[in-house]
Amino acid sequence: MHAEKLEPGSEFSLPPRPMTRERMRWYVDAQPTIAADDGRIHTQEPTIHDDDEYARKQGLPGIIADGMISTNWILGLLIDVYGPDVAGRCKLRTKYVAPIYEDQIVVTRARVTAVEPSGEGKACRLDVWCEDDAGTKLTTGEATVFV
Amino acid sequence: MATGGVVSDLDKGDVLGPVEYTLSPFVVREYSHAVEMHHPCFQGREGDLVMPPTLIHLDKLRLYKHACPGGTGPSARIHFEYNVEVFEPVRVGDRLSVRGEITDRYQKNGRDYVVLQMELTNVATGRLVVRYVDRVILAYRSAEKAA
Repeated sequence: MHAEKLEPGSEFSLPPRPMTRERMRWYVDAQPTIAADDGRIHTQEPTIHDDDEYARKQGLPGIIADGMISTNWILGLLIDVYGPDVAGRCKLRTKYVAPIYEDQIVVTRARVTAVEPSGEGKACRLDVWCEDDAGTKLTTGEATVFV
Repeated sequence: MATGGVVSDLDKGDVLGPVEYTLSPFVVREYSHAVEMHHPCFQGREGDLVMPPTLIHLDKLRLYKHACPGGTGPSARIHFEYNVEVFEPVRVGDRLSVRGEITDRYQKNGRDYVVLQMELTNVATGRLVVRYVDRVILAYRSAEKAA
């Protein structure tokens, strides 16, 4: 493993992604599809993530992204950097501090904050977050990966 | 005890599940595809697949469906916080049992928050494999009116 991955202060990021309507709907459609688990696509009733009218009825200006999309982008970044073992042992906490609206640019980032001995290896602690293209944080959190 | 009704009626102390299921390759690949995690551990050959730590969030919907046959209730939920700890890898074919408990329900700034703690256990080994705490905001619309 490259030393920088275990160096406090090191930062990692994914290329900017626009939170498109399609990206929001992919997550909406995944939910009933996974619940059915029959190999076919399933859909569900309108949600605040794929139906503007329904979202407005709920007091929102329009559809917003499910927070789990940004959490998954953070998880994907951690696996890019630290490998698939992250999926088998880790801690990850995220808070959705601002809504993510259609076509908003999202940059996923992680920064090493500490590295400590853990068993026969090390525990690497990180701040993780998603921000818009102006640097405003949308999702914040912390992670621990074991290497 | 508010189980047996709608999700928005859930209250502190309510127990959801347990519900058993077997993790399928379709579920792992489909979920990961929806959130653009194209890593081999999530979209590769069946023997290489592990459960994404984020997939536990859909087990919440599994528990809701089991405990709240009336559905969501009058207002949409806003997911506010995801907090997971993964203790060991969960693999395709594993028989799993998920159980949830509402550990808190409180008001803040005119909004109702509900905290659900979930535990995912490997049925064959009896070992706790994932612990997850989920915090949602209920009644977003009424909170907006109250603000």
